[in-house]
Amino acid sequence: MTATVLVPNVVSPVVVGLFLPAVFTGIIVGLIGLLSISYQKNDLHALILTDIVGIGMLIIVASVGTDLAESLVLPGLVVELAEIMAISEILMSREIRKQGKTVDLMPMPLNLDMEVLTTAPIFFAIILVAYGAFLSGFTGGAIAGGGILFYVITRLARGVPANIWEGLAGASGIAWCLWLVGFLIFFVAPDYWLLALFLSAFGVFIKVTFKASLVGVMGREEFKKE
Amino acid sequence: MDISILGGPILGIIPLGDIVLYFTPFNLFMFAAALAFTALIAISSTESQVEAEFGTLKNREVKVDKAEFKLRRFLAIVCGLATAGAMVTGDLFDFTLFVTLIGIVNIGIVAAVKEIDVLDAAFQYGLIAMIGTLPLFGGAALILASTGTISLLQIVQIPYTTSLMLFGSILFFLGVAGETGVAPFFATKAEMFRTPGSPFLLIIHLSSLLIIVRTIEILLIINKPF
Repeated sequence: MTATVLVPNVVSPVVVGLFLPAVFTGIIVGLIGLLSISYQKNDLHALILTDIVGIGMLIIVASVGTDLAESLVLPGLVVELAEIMAISEILMSREIRKQGKTVDLMPMPLNLDMEVLTTAPIFFAIILVAYGAFLSGFTGGAIAGGGILFYVITRLARGVPANIWEGLAGASGIAWCLWLVGFLIFFVAPDYWLLALFLSAFGVFIKVTFKASLVGVMGREEFKKE
Repeated sequence: MDISILGGPILGIIPLGDIVLYFTPFNLFMFAAALAFTALIAISSTESQVEAEFGTLKNREVKVDKAEFKLRRFLAIVCGLATAGAMVTGDLFDFTLFVTLIGIVNIGIVAAVKEIDVLDAAFQYGLIAMIGTLPLFGGAALILASTGTISLLQIVQIPYTTSLMLFGSILFFLGVAGETGVAPFFATKAEMFRTPGSPFLLIIHLSSLLIIVRTIEILLIINKPF
């Protein structure tokens, strides 16, 4: 039995023709990554090269190019990031332990000392937050969070009052609940999709904003220790 | 060849919008097994372990650090819940995410033991798991591209099998093997099951076994070889 073509007619044949080359590109990228890992003896280099294999994965998933494929791209990216962070923590913890020092459950030897952090204008942060609010959703949250993180890092010298940031953490939790409620409404009562859409979009916007800015708070705590 | 022949009669479905869970006796049995083991982990307290000393008649009590123990037990419970979820999901997308969650959690379980040899094994397992995301997500994306859906109840109604579906299935199986299939090997390589306070690490074996069995069921549903 022959397979039916699932691609709708509005898609140009050039785009459809790109599918198989893209898949093969992804697989070849993965093979190149694997080959270079097999030559590599340094653990850190092997870890970085493994990321190339992950990029090959993203190429294959992105080659499908439908909305369902997008639902695979985002988790794929997150999984890739989570695993590379976990493995680099393992590597750091092992190297510190090899030197005979004790190590926390989460080692974080972070030391940012750059001149640009004290001279950069806060205007950038305002632009980023405003643009993120305009975008809303996950992307907007990431951009606005980047703006707040930028503000925190540039103002590290003067010191930021801690209780404000703890309040932000609470608001982030509540916004996350809004996001979850929005998703639940999508599934349980699809008629109210507009309410669910706005709950989810702005819930995740506020949540991601505060989450990204909380990275700044955690970094500040680490600065204080040193 | 449909779902009701593979796993027994369909006892019921839970439609959550796009995502439809279905229950057959086969799935329910594995779901209950994973949940029962997780419940055992949750109520057990195995932080101290009594070992017989060699050459004398004395016993030796080995205790682990409470923080480390709690972290490992939490990760084991998450692993058990993810396994249980992967057993009943009727959606390739959910299944992929559960498998990657199990992979990340397994890295955490192995890495929580702070010994250099164990961390070595955790690092190598992490690299394999990261490489495994290429065939896992790539395979899922190719199955999506060739069938147009990732809902198993929809895929089972497609009467034909194309070579791209077979190729995607092979990639998918490779990905599952890299993500959870090799985990028991690395856990055993580091002799993790004899480290104090970790008999419940057998969840790695259980999850690996159940996930492989379920993967084979899913691949039979997709490819319809009979």
